[in-house]
Amino acid sequence: MSFLRLDNVVKRYGEHSAVQGVSFSAEKGEFVVFVGPSGCGKSTLLRMIAGLEEISDGDVLIDEKIVTHVEPARREVAMVFQSYALYPHMSVFENLAFGLRMVKTKEDEIKRRVAEAARILQIEMLLERKPRQLSGGQRQRVAIGRAIVRNPKLFLFDEPLSNLDAELRTQMRVEIAKLHRALGVTMVYVTHDQIEAMTLADRIVVLRAGLVEQVGTPTELYDNPANIFVAGFIGSPKMNFIPAVVTGAADRQLTVSCPAFAGGTLTVATKRQHQVKPGDTVTVGMRPEHLELQSATPVLSLKADFAEYLGGASQIYALPEGAPMMTIVVPGRPAIARNDTLPIGIAPQHIYLFDSQGLGI
Amino acid sequence: MMSMTLRRILHGLGLLIVLCFTLFPFYWMVSSSFKDQTDLLASPPVWFFTPTLSNYTDIFADEKVSGAIVNSLVVATLTTALSVILGAPAAYALARFNFRGKSDLWFWFISNRMISPIVLALPVYVLALQLKLLDTHLVLILIYLTFNLPIVVWICTDQFRSIPIELEQAARLDGADQFTIFRKIYVPLGLPGIAVSAIFSFIFSWNELLYALVLTRRNVQTAPVIATSFMSGYELPWGKIMATGTVIVLPVTIFALLVSKHMVRGLTMGATK
Repeated sequence: MSFLRLDNVVKRYGEHSAVQGVSFSAEKGEFVVFVGPSGCGKSTLLRMIAGLEEISDGDVLIDEKIVTHVEPARREVAMVFQSYALYPHMSVFENLAFGLRMVKTKEDEIKRRVAEAARILQIEMLLERKPRQLSGGQRQRVAIGRAIVRNPKLFLFDEPLSNLDAELRTQMRVEIAKLHRALGVTMVYVTHDQIEAMTLADRIVVLRAGLVEQVGTPTELYDNPANIFVAGFIGSPKMNFIPAVVTGAADRQLTVSCPAFAGGTLTVATKRQHQVKPGDTVTVGMRPEHLELQSATPVLSLKADFAEYLGGASQIYALPEGAPMMTIVVPGRPAIARNDTLPIGIAPQHIYLFDSQGLGI
Repeated sequence: MMSMTLRRILHGLGLLIVLCFTLFPFYWMVSSSFKDQTDLLASPPVWFFTPTLSNYTDIFADEKVSGAIVNSLVVATLTTALSVILGAPAAYALARFNFRGKSDLWFWFISNRMISPIVLALPVYVLALQLKLLDTHLVLILIYLTFNLPIVVWICTDQFRSIPIELEQAARLDGADQFTIFRKIYVPLGLPGIAVSAIFSFIFSWNELLYALVLTRRNVQTAPVIATSFMSGYELPWGKIMATGTVIVLPVTIFALLVSKHMVRGLTMGATK
């Protein structure tokens, strides 16, 4: 039984479709993250769930009721905006109380619920202040508080952390995760930051150009990306891609060739049944953190370009022959000079293959 | 370096000339209101004289003048109130809703201000005559509304557009209906714009002479009409005219000086984001 369901929803602006038929469902209490590059329709989709954007086609169901044409306020959802959208002329208390006043809540009850939300978010001492007297992090808390007081069925977050600095962002990310654990409410969170997606989500929906590319848990997406887009989007630094040509195809196994490979060819087991024939082009994917330096059984032979030492780990950039620059993440600080030849190894299960359409094989 | 200083001096000089040009009539009105008839009619004009308050005592003794000031107050206040009550919601609609003919409506509001008032004076007079509205407060209020509404709509639309749309969306999610959003979000946040447009409405209605002259007789003559009514065929009591003019202009001048900071802000609103 799904709590939130999108049934083939479409959003058209004239000729252009921002969302082109998205179907998806979330369970009660689940934390779902919509992720994708800017312009992929993730915010539009969220606003369609909220009721702030008209739905051109399809249906939205919340708690098994069709709410496609229901007013935002009657959907029992609360939204935290990227810009916080606090009412600048009202005190923090009034900002939190506004929604309760709209549904004619008794004054005692308003005080109790605002106090409760303020306690959870540790903003009790800010209640008399105006939004302009708050720091970015405090405003963010108030914006979340405004969502909490109304006891909504569904929380919607529209890139809530993108206006904060890096440190505060990490801190608020943890707090949002804790809040989800404490409230146990269904949350839908939109971000373009894949780290936020990986750390917060029970399930991630990867979107591109108004279409769902893949839905899955963070580890599913990381381990088994459906296509080259998801593979490149999830994981940081980004997955390395090497274009190659198929020289031999057997059931569940391919031999591919590219000058970058040690020995010129590489034999890889495929994860799925495939239709690839010799002569087809494929893309080989390898995550930077799966690559090993100074391997006894090297798979790749690369020329070192430069290294970045990050303290505990290092990022090494190296050039393969016939492929774009590759990134290697290794622990420690290996001494690497420019133009060193690096024998790079990787465990066979960490090699990804994508066909000429970009689909995982 | 030299040319910079020279440019500054010339700039200052230019400003001074413009200032003299605009302020001299005002100075002449105020100073004349303190002259007696001999000084007023002296040729060449006298610059130094013994001031007298007799013109002021004369006009305040005249019931017509105090009555006219009351009329002006009634007309200007009601016009301003109506302009804001009708104009601000219209501005909200223009700022935030999309509807058919929106840009035409917007242009229509602006183009209302492009017409020279004198062009409409005769048709309006005939209309008022037919409707038996001549010499009533109502006819002045109605005609002033047509001039003031565009100003209110214009300034307020700009002001409302500068309010982030997320605030409205947040309020909608909080359960506020359209009117509540307007009342609780747009009016308080758009107050500087609303105030400025109200000030403009008031000043315009207070100063207006042409229509007041054409559409009123005895009962609802406004202050500017009374000031000119002293000019009869046989005498020109300049002292009384100037004193009445000063009494009319002074309150709005003080008012405008007090709020000038907000006025500039209101006028440039939306120009920079």
